[in-house]
Amino acid sequence: MTISAQIPPRTEFTRRRLGDEAFITLLVVLAAVALFLTASLLVPNFFQLQNMINLVTNNWAVISLGVGVTFLLVSGNFDLSVGGVVALSGVLSVWFAQSAGGANALSTGLGMPYFLAIACALLGAMAIGGLNALFVVRFGVPSIIVTLGTMMVARGIAQVITHGSQRNTNLPEEFGVLGNLYMFGTSVKLPVVLMILLILIAVFIEKKTVFGRKTYWIGANAVAATLSGIDRAKHITYLYLFSSAIAGVVGILLASEFKSGFSNRGMLMEFDALVIALLGGVAIAGGFGSVVGMFFGAIILAVVTSAATGLVLSPDWQFTLKAIAVFLAIVVQTWALARRNR
Amino acid sequence: MSQPTAISQGPTDRNGRIARFLRDYYIYFVFVAVIAVLSVANLDQFTLFERGNFLNKYNIINILRVSAPLITLAGAFTLLMVSGYIDLSVGSAMSLSAVVYALLAINGVPFLPAFVATVAVGVVLGTINGFLVVRLKITPVIATLITLSLYKGIALLLVQDGVSAIKSGGGLKMPAWFNDYGREGVLLSLPMAFWVAILVTLVLIIVQKRTLIGKYAAATGGNPTAAKLSGIKTGKIVWVLYGIVGVTAALAGIARSSFMSLGDPLSGDGMELTVILVVLLGGTAFSGGEGRVSKSFVAALIIMSLTVGMLTLVPAYYQTLVIGSALLLAAASNHIVSKKGKSS
Repeated sequence: MTISAQIPPRTEFTRRRLGDEAFITLLVVLAAVALFLTASLLVPNFFQLQNMINLVTNNWAVISLGVGVTFLLVSGNFDLSVGGVVALSGVLSVWFAQSAGGANALSTGLGMPYFLAIACALLGAMAIGGLNALFVVRFGVPSIIVTLGTMMVARGIAQVITHGSQRNTNLPEEFGVLGNLYMFGTSVKLPVVLMILLILIAVFIEKKTVFGRKTYWIGANAVAATLSGIDRAKHITYLYLFSSAIAGVVGILLASEFKSGFSNRGMLMEFDALVIALLGGVAIAGGFGSVVGMFFGAIILAVVTSAATGLVLSPDWQFTLKAIAVFLAIVVQTWALARRNR
Repeated sequence: MSQPTAISQGPTDRNGRIARFLRDYYIYFVFVAVIAVLSVANLDQFTLFERGNFLNKYNIINILRVSAPLITLAGAFTLLMVSGYIDLSVGSAMSLSAVVYALLAINGVPFLPAFVATVAVGVVLGTINGFLVVRLKITPVIATLITLSLYKGIALLLVQDGVSAIKSGGGLKMPAWFNDYGREGVLLSLPMAFWVAILVTLVLIIVQKRTLIGKYAAATGGNPTAAKLSGIKTGKIVWVLYGIVGVTAALAGIARSSFMSLGDPLSGDGMELTVILVVLLGGTAFSGGEGRVSKSFVAALIIMSLTVGMLTLVPAYYQTLVIGSALLLAAASNHIVSKKGKSS
């Protein structure tokens, strides 16, 4: 058997399907650029290099979370637990690292060495991912309910550990280093560099590996994927662990940046991660979407919200703007695809 | 072979009957168990409930009073979920209604016009959801996530900058009657809001058991294609159900706003999760097709007893964890019992 026999020929069908995805991603990129240019015309001092950099660097946390959420959405599953996991892992890392003898309950931790502390916090975060996978894959509960539940469980544990507020005393010196490390003498911090690395790796996995393509097949047709020998349960378990690990790292970095474990950190981040994925053209039904699209979806949201702030709208506008942006994105994408495939 | 079969059939049949009995009535046992535990637990050493035990008159009245919004919402939400749809915007719709109601009241509109206008707003909010889901065919989760953000945004915009909620101050004063609807006892020392909640629940029980809307909702959720093929206008049914949920969200908002005597644009935050928890706890299948308004009513009482009762046993910061765990357990046990488990 020759190798060429195993690889399906590039038929009209496969070329068209991939084409649709590239088409939507291009649409998202164009929308982001057009919005940026419009905002530059309307808002003074908007068209500046530093502002462009800020649009990305201010949103490193949500974009990083968006990577895991995008993969899960592509496989046809929600992950709304990431915001809770951000709070949990941050609080855990602080609690583990605080020295054992403190003045009161909130300043007494477990006194672990820092790197052991963050490793354990990461494990705690991934336990939530494991819980997601257990309920979704083994018990067959709809993922939106499961991950809403685990979001509350994760945040609930964080609230119990911090007694509903925060822990920020009695921390070792090295705790605040990771989140505030400036890279290569620029104003760019380590978390941003990690986010860019994560996106590069994610794009590679998505486009060039079997794992990435399997994700699409599961999302496009779960039954067909199972029948063609893909271990769906294992795959989705990996995706949930992957997503919660990212959220765990984000939580640890945020805790380090602010030198505190705050039980309300990451509030609503799960919705923002979902929103940028949707703005970026990821289909809620699964099987369609890309990490690059998600990234530019985040840019769209960032441009819209920061332009609104620049136009001196009240910050209360952000919810309304988000709603309108997502609504337009979904309607336009559906319309564009329907028109193209007519 | 026939004899062993007959013998083995006995227990299986009995097991089946027990399982069915448990599935049909477990919610009432849970209710009794929760009440029993909360009544037995010693509350005297805590300062929060100086009046003594859980089952005393004042505590029961208090719990039923604060339950009014949740009870109002639970029934309509059950019907919507039975038809296989979901509304994540109920919390925001409730906040927006609370703000609108408080705004009208503080600007001198009498009770009845303000009440009717707010309910009309609720109809509009529900209809918008219905429009997005039925006409534009946006997935219910996403459509109502959009309106969650939208309604909350509008509620925040209606409250002027620098103020957290609509309340007395700045030359405007809340009218004296504002509190009455949610607090003042009219019958059995329970306020109007509670009796409206009971009325809504009774009407919806009748709607579910005796009218075509109830049957069609179950048919739509059980098998949408079959329902459509047998001539049911599923789109219309879903639209009506979203409208009903909008009305109950408005009623819940009025009750909450009147109880707290302010129009707080965040007062409904997280309500959608509590309602989903209640409805799932009541045995409604997330994928649609089965569920009872009456069971959701009992589940709402359980959750409110738990949230209020828990304050006397553990510090308030345990609440998120307990509710999250309850949500997971309710969802999992539902799907294991009904064996309708499907991923995603």
